[in-house]
Amino acid sequence: MEIIERIKTNKLFSNPTEIQKLCLKKLQSNPLPNLKSELWRLSNKSKFSNFLDFSLNGNSTNFEFPYQNNSKNIIRLIIGENSPTNINNEDYSINELNNEELIAYIKKNLSSFDQNENWSELLNLCLSFEQNILGLRIQGTKIPPLEILSHASNDYINAKTLILIVEKNCNLDLLQINLGTENSSLSHSTYLCLEENSFVNHGMVAYGEKKSNLLNSLNVIQQQNSEYNLGTLHFKFNYARFEIRIKQSSGNARTNIKGMQITKNDEQIATYTKIEFNGPNGFLDQINKSLADDKSHAIFEGSIIVPKIAQKTDASQLSRNLLLSNHAQIDTKPQLEIIADDVKCKHGATISQLNEEELFYMRSRGLTLAEASKLQLGSFFKEIISFIPVPKGRWDLLNKLLKQD
Amino acid sequence: MTESNPILEVNNLFASTDDLPILKGVSITVYPGEIHAIMGRNGCGKSTLSKIIAGHPSYNITEGEINFSGKNVNSLEPEERAQSGIFLGFQYPIEIPGVSNLEFLRVSTNARRKFLKKEELDTFDFEDLVKEKLELVKMDSAFLSRSVNQGFSGGEKKRNEILQMALLEPKIAILDETDSGLDIDALRIVASGIKKIANNKTGIILITHYQRLLDEIKPDYVHVMSDGQIIKTGGSDLALELEKNGYEWTDNFVKEK
Repeated sequence: MEIIERIKTNKLFSNPTEIQKLCLKKLQSNPLPNLKSELWRLSNKSKFSNFLDFSLNGNSTNFEFPYQNNSKNIIRLIIGENSPTNINNEDYSINELNNEELIAYIKKNLSSFDQNENWSELLNLCLSFEQNILGLRIQGTKIPPLEILSHASNDYINAKTLILIVEKNCNLDLLQINLGTENSSLSHSTYLCLEENSFVNHGMVAYGEKKSNLLNSLNVIQQQNSEYNLGTLHFKFNYARFEIRIKQSSGNARTNIKGMQITKNDEQIATYTKIEFNGPNGFLDQINKSLADDKSHAIFEGSIIVPKIAQKTDASQLSRNLLLSNHAQIDTKPQLEIIADDVKCKHGATISQLNEEELFYMRSRGLTLAEASKLQLGSFFKEIISFIPVPKGRWDLLNKLLKQD
Repeated sequence: MTESNPILEVNNLFASTDDLPILKGVSITVYPGEIHAIMGRNGCGKSTLSKIIAGHPSYNITEGEINFSGKNVNSLEPEERAQSGIFLGFQYPIEIPGVSNLEFLRVSTNARRKFLKKEELDTFDFEDLVKEKLELVKMDSAFLSRSVNQGFSGGEKKRNEILQMALLEPKIAILDETDSGLDIDALRIVASGIKKIANNKTGIILITHYQRLLDEIKPDYVHVMSDGQIIKTGGSDLALELEKNGYEWTDNFVKEK
């Protein structure tokens, strides 16, 4: 684990930034998460070790979006490759956070970070070079869709960080694409703050190539009367870990999450979610789907935390899983932690295989087994894909998934 | 009728599932233009026979053969049988959430057309064809935009089965209790649809418990099944006798046999 050795021996950078110094300090005494803890015990140790076994790279190679931009009304940014233009017009403005604002924001988050629970964020901030941290403040209405790409480089570990502050009354469609390349690790962290009355449709699509690794964390703060819709898709990673932490800071907010992970060969992809209600009248509707084939391993662990202050919370969490092979493994654990006594909370999990009777029905109408399976999988995927804010005409994600070998 | 070659010949068929014998020597021959009815108590093997002819993978043929258009189809996959013209109308049509009925019908129809070396239909041409066929079963085109059979009433599911039969133009259609769960009006619509699709090149096997379907579609032959065997074959009068005397009456045939 080259990276860990360099952290321990303080040989990671010759000239660390203030944030890097702070994170290094937090990590040096205890550079690894507790792999026996609930949050890490299912992580494949050798894959996790492989994630850390690359040299750090702060520079970026040229990388393209995976699909054409056929609309002028879209703002596209690639973290680490181009400086975003500050845009100010009648309806909206998008401005970069200056260095002081960035440091202040990160420091505020760092103060509450736990070494084990927030290890992914600590590592990310420790490894992110200044040019790979993008901070934006967005305000106004009629904002064009925002598409932000992060990517790894072959044979290196890269770290990218995105901070978005969505100001009061904003309405934003945001699509993040995190791409892995062959033999690479990508550490990615996103911080999103939805101020009062804001509305964000957020898509997060991440996929890799042969032997790609990903550590992806998403921290969201929702102020009251905000609404946050999140659609996520992770596939084709040797090892991927996606951590979602959402806090409704004073309740009275709505959160909808539809996420999916697809594993094949001997891949391992895990999703951990923690949704906290810190006030009354919060709403959550969450579904997470896993599909595991061959000898792969998919993991979902979700927790919903409803303290006493969060009366009248209405929360639902469902984990639906499809096992396509006798050698594949799925672990799922939706959890509720409820202290408040006047709430409506439910959770559930199902693990099944492709439905034999549905398959026979389709085959009895002339569809081959492969065609019938494809239709069934398509229906499993569709609910999630349709929630990701990118029109089929621009990027046919469903087709991409069904065509992948 | 018997001058041409049979469409379907089931010869001394034995079959089992999980080592449990279900069919114990069934034989039935269907010629073009013939309508056969199979009747019998619940659990006698009627539905199993239909599924085995359609190629359900859960059943094993242990003895005997199924010949379709003169070729043994024992080892063909369900889709190969369907493409070549065997159609099974399900007793309980399966709901497939998330799969559009229109797309499912189009893919199925094209699979059959490809086998028949006919040009495959694109979405627009298919919509014209399906709208024409919808008339046969008096279905609203709104059903096409829904998921396959999802949220359909019992009658709507059965009409959707007949719609599929109309689109696939099979050489033999086995309709498993197509009349169950239908009210009188729906039964007439379904029966009328079947009659319009049937022609002198098609064979039809109706599996039913009730005379009321056979009042609408008069069979040429009626077979009584019991314990995995056909124990008696007769004309359409046999169904009337069954209606009058019940299945206890058929127990004597078993004894006679």
